[in-house]
Amino acid sequence: MKDFLKSNSVKFFLSTVFIVVLLSVFTSSIESNLLSSTVNSVTYPLSKVTAAATGDEDMTYAELLAEYEALKEENAQLRTQLVDYYDTLTENTRLWKFYDLKKEHPEYTLVPSVVLRKDSNDEFYSFTLDKGTTSDIAVGDPVVSENGLIGWVNEVDLTTCKVVTILSPQTSVGAIDSKSQDTGIITGSALYCDENLTTFTKLSAEHKVKAGDIITSTGISGLYPKGLIIGEVTDICYDTYNTSYYAVVKPYVDIRELKDLAIITDYTGQGEVLIKNGTGTQ
Amino acid sequence: MKNIRFFRYLAYSLEILVFFILGSTPSLLPQIFGATPCILVALALTISVFESEIPAMVFGVICGVLTDLGFSNSIGTFTIALTICCFVLGFCSNNIITVNFLNVMITATVVITALLSLHFLFAIVLKGYDYAGSYFVNHYISRIVQTIICTAILYFINKFIYETLRD
Repeated sequence: MKDFLKSNSVKFFLSTVFIVVLLSVFTSSIESNLLSSTVNSVTYPLSKVTAAATGDEDMTYAELLAEYEALKEENAQLRTQLVDYYDTLTENTRLWKFYDLKKEHPEYTLVPSVVLRKDSNDEFYSFTLDKGTTSDIAVGDPVVSENGLIGWVNEVDLTTCKVVTILSPQTSVGAIDSKSQDTGIITGSALYCDENLTTFTKLSAEHKVKAGDIITSTGISGLYPKGLIIGEVTDICYDTYNTSYYAVVKPYVDIRELKDLAIITDYTGQGEVLIKNGTGTQ
Repeated sequence: MKNIRFFRYLAYSLEILVFFILGSTPSLLPQIFGATPCILVALALTISVFESEIPAMVFGVICGVLTDLGFSNSIGTFTIALTICCFVLGFCSNNIITVNFLNVMITATVVITALLSLHFLFAIVLKGYDYAGSYFVNHYISRIVQTIICTAILYFINKFIYETLRD
């Protein structure tokens, strides 16, 4: 044992642990690093293929077989058409989802994106999108679906970005009840994230929030555009820890099962409060 | 001899890459009680029991980095913990314990439970999230059990690789 403790193996082991600890300290203090960029770049093509290969729904063997037969027949009919027909159709379908949003808010600069990886180890359903700094994505950019706010970009590298969803306690969005005009903060909760629910917290004791009310972003911080739909109130509860009321909010999409999204890279009023005050809430 | 070892390490590397991609592919692995297994942790442990301490540690570092990148873009708990665990496991399996299914499963159960509990401490408790206990009950217990089950399967896969490509 004494010989072993003096061996090169132990010296190499201790050196490795030292380097790993140093790297750990170094990488935790910066938003994007060479290590994660390298891993993402190496696995990007394979992730792209596997992400495209998985469907939105779980299907039985019989359903898959029926679909296969139907597609086989359809394929024979479409063989004579252009080779890139399906690619164009898929792209159009994805972009159409955001057409209404773009029409309603022409000031938004939207970058359509596809979920590349689900961060399966994350408790709050965060995921990785296939757009990065090369598409002008920046940390803090809001991520939306055709039905409203989904989350925000937490980390970004050249070709990918990591999104934290509104189901996470890391999220803190200034929000308003569009009916009663009560304001509060949207943040995730351990009690509700598994049911695709988030919470509308910091409500005043005299609030008039009711089930069925629609919650939207206030936009006062300059981090999210004003009026982005977040979800619908399903319940009002009292938090005994914080001695305050909060509403349970159900987003209009299942955030756990998303495939096509858009990132808002620019909009009127973006970062105004941040610039004025130096800091601000999300 | 060296060629055979090279191919064995190559097989492990490919195995790690494939399981990393499969584990992070959207909608591929079903979530059981709100969690999926940490396959790379199980993989690192099962590789370690067949290798000497230095290769075991290297594969531990690789699996740890990839597991940490699944949580955030920085390396942390898993990298450091797997580096140490795999080195110790590599040494013990060559000098102290006999490598058989029962011993590996007992060791893996202890290590996986400790590792994921440590991660729960750093990722949930110390960040001050409300209702931290419910995360452990709803997610971490399921993840620990699933990872241990994965260890059993990966033990046989890595045993096959080791015996097929033995020096």
